[in-house]
Amino acid sequence: MKRMRWLALVAVLALVAAACGDTEGGDDTTTTADGGPTTTAATDGTTTSVDAETPFEGLALDSGGCDYGGKIASIEATAETEVVFTLCSEDPAFLAKLAFIPFAVQPAEHLEATGGSPLENPVGTGPFVLDEWSRGSEIVYSANQDYWGEVPAFDTLVFRWRDSSTARITELTSGNADFITNLAASDYATIEGDANLQLLVDENPNVFYVGFNNLFPPFDDVRVRQAIAMGVDRQRIIDTFYPEGSAVADYFTPCIIENACEGEPFYEFDPEGARALLAEAGFPDGFETTIKLRDVFRVYLPEPVAVAEDIRAQLAENLGIEAEVIVMESGAFIEENASGQQEGIHLLGWGADYPHVTNFLDFHFGGGNPQFGEMSPDIVDTLAEGARTVDPAAAQPIYEQANNLIREFVPMFPVAWGAAADAALATVENAAVAPVGAPQFATMNPGDGDFVFVQNAEPISLFCADETDGESLSACEQALEGLYGYGPNGEVIPKLATECAPDDTGLVWTCALREGVTFHDGSTFDANDVVTSWSVGLDASHPLHVGNTGAFEYFSYLWGALINAE
Amino acid sequence: MIGYILRRLLIAIPVLIGVLVVVFLLLRLVPGEPCTAILGERASPEACERFNAANGLNEPVYVQLAIYAGSAITGDFGESIRFSRPVSQIIIERLPVTLELAGAALTAAVVVGIPLGIAAARRHNTGVDVAAMTFANVGVSMPIFWLGLLLAYLFAVVLLGTPLALPPSGTLSPGSRPLPFFEVWGVELSDGFLANLAEFVSNMTITNTLISAQWSIFWDGVRHMILPAVTLATIPIAIIARMTRSSLLDVLGREYIRTARAKGAGERRVIRRHALRNAMLPVVTIIGLQLGGLLGGAVLTETVFGLAGVGTALFEAITARDFPIIQGFTFVIAATYVIVNLLVDISYGYLDPRVRLE
Repeated sequence: MKRMRWLALVAVLALVAAACGDTEGGDDTTTTADGGPTTTAATDGTTTSVDAETPFEGLALDSGGCDYGGKIASIEATAETEVVFTLCSEDPAFLAKLAFIPFAVQPAEHLEATGGSPLENPVGTGPFVLDEWSRGSEIVYSANQDYWGEVPAFDTLVFRWRDSSTARITELTSGNADFITNLAASDYATIEGDANLQLLVDENPNVFYVGFNNLFPPFDDVRVRQAIAMGVDRQRIIDTFYPEGSAVADYFTPCIIENACEGEPFYEFDPEGARALLAEAGFPDGFETTIKLRDVFRVYLPEPVAVAEDIRAQLAENLGIEAEVIVMESGAFIEENASGQQEGIHLLGWGADYPHVTNFLDFHFGGGNPQFGEMSPDIVDTLAEGARTVDPAAAQPIYEQANNLIREFVPMFPVAWGAAADAALATVENAAVAPVGAPQFATMNPGDGDFVFVQNAEPISLFCADETDGESLSACEQALEGLYGYGPNGEVIPKLATECAPDDTGLVWTCALREGVTFHDGSTFDANDVVTSWSVGLDASHPLHVGNTGAFEYFSYLWGALINAE
Repeated sequence: MIGYILRRLLIAIPVLIGVLVVVFLLLRLVPGEPCTAILGERASPEACERFNAANGLNEPVYVQLAIYAGSAITGDFGESIRFSRPVSQIIIERLPVTLELAGAALTAAVVVGIPLGIAAARRHNTGVDVAAMTFANVGVSMPIFWLGLLLAYLFAVVLLGTPLALPPSGTLSPGSRPLPFFEVWGVELSDGFLANLAEFVSNMTITNTLISAQWSIFWDGVRHMILPAVTLATIPIAIIARMTRSSLLDVLGREYIRTARAKGAGERRVIRRHALRNAMLPVVTIIGLQLGGLLGGAVLTETVFGLAGVGTALFEAITARDFPIIQGFTFVIAATYVIVNLLVDISYGYLDPRVRLE
């Protein structure tokens, strides 16, 4: 009898164990009927994906068509290491945009854990790991010893900020900093005269131009616009107001960008020819107008009011045009300009968001910008053709034609490509400034101790999907990476992708992802992290579309529109 | 006395409400939109529309004011538009830095300014008087930013490598991170007033490291504080010295001072026991006003020395049109002024028993 009871007990235990499906542990396991992913629910309440035994379940972002006005139709994780971007129209700048740091990838789990708002604690794959952000004082990073690329040669990187060039130089000369940014032009000589320091010229692509709205007379006459373009000595402006490394802009787009400087260069300084043109247009003695600007320092226009006064003097001297210089509040100036309401002459410029000719030409002359009045349909059509041509070699003659058309139509005339400069201690090895993006500290070496970098201002947040200020982007670039990035000469290079290649239509880009990459929190990078990071930024209805301001301005601006935006 | 204090506090309420309303309305008159200041000048009208809606900026001004005032009364100054963080949290981070700087500067001003004024008064019309007043006049007319840059250059660059070298910026050396005093003490704090107060105190670098005996960081903090404190103290030193001198000269000419001297009291006793206390009344008023001025006027010093205090927070917020931060910090500065003035008034009763606060 006793033996029978034991047998019954053993049989019951065996049945219970079989029913549980696991005789070893306490986990509760379910398997999908279609052989799909197996999810194990551990007794501690956490869930773990059992990837090794199951096929990858890829996430996808589908806009449901292209009627929403944006450029991305869908993004799909087709395999653990493959993501497919389907575009609404061809985009030759796709890779250049992809490399921009707002499109960096973070772990899907981290974005969920932070409610789509990892403002102070981003998790990336970059060469530096964020240690601490002491608000108001500094950001401290340590070298990522598990970095998939070359591990930095030093252990600690410190970001600090001072708002004046003089203060930053004091930091450098006192040994408190190894590398500082944004020198004032008047400080170049100080750096060059000190053997302990090195001046690093920054060839960031930008342009300063003098623009006209052709809806307002007399600028509705192309001869007037051309006369002014020929009547201003641009070299004099460069020599007087711009720092070393700046140059007269012969084209709108700086030549560091592919296909930028095709076609005829802009008009040479020719006051006699300009006066003749003006007389032909009916203004032999000139006319009265205004020069509007904002008094805001930019690399492309370091001394706005002084430059405006010089242009005013040149117009009076060379062409008999009497212009009144009007300095406007920055926001009001931009608003009036962008709405097409600005009469007279305006002074403005552009700094590259990403290194591609479309970033310069399409925004200004692609037909959607009323700042110059009515754009020539020929220019609009030519740029539209360029924007459909993915192959740079095939695009070359198109941009040659576009530049020539812009030169003929003269919606503006380019004046200067401004140069900026950074500085470093002479002991810093490989110190350099990349023309696009932040300084690449991972490739430098301070020699001994920590590497201290001083920039203009404190970052607003470190969730750069939803930031636009250069200081935030600069800090993000040290810890975060996207599928592509910018190389030391501004070239677009693969980062988390090994390659993104278009199909024959130019609409479908397949990105092969780098394998074996881990995030700073130890999790493994895969295609779903890419889709989630992009969905958070691009899909306004995504539950994690939170960010800092919630605007995700670069997603909206560079990819046409946000999906599901109200 | 208690009744007096209560009455003064009641009077402060309309003053603070006035500050709140005036600052709120003035900010709406300033040209420039928060949207373009924060999202960048390339922000689309649609993006700005969404931004304004999310931040309540598309409501009529009087509605915005009513919403803000309702929250501010409960001590909730809202969230920074730029940082998406509670303004009260930013005050907890920034105000301690300014308080510590102002405290150090005021201490230096009192310790130097009063003896300087006394010395000038005692040796009236001598070389000491002329030298002290020349120093005071130079100090009061010295542009703070210029003096700050000069001192930073002198002590951080020219004297680099000598024992006199001092750091040009920040509260601590790069990468130096003190532990909060309560962690050193092993005290665990949950959320609430005490936790906020502890965090507030721990953000005063020198105080925090002093009470938690983190000596190397403490001395690092002191070294970083010297130049900004000296810079900020220059004008108060000059003002206090001049006021002390003139007030003391006035008192020293009174008949009871002559009587004290006639009775054989020594000069030191005459100054200390009979003259100084009576001469202190206007000096205390000036010191009180200076403290308020130091809190609100540390903008330049904090900017020159890269200190993350109230001044730099306000400056950055004004640039970015971050209304909640500007409103919150202005309110705190105004409240500090009110409290300091109250303390000055109370001190009158102690210094001069003839003053009846009732």
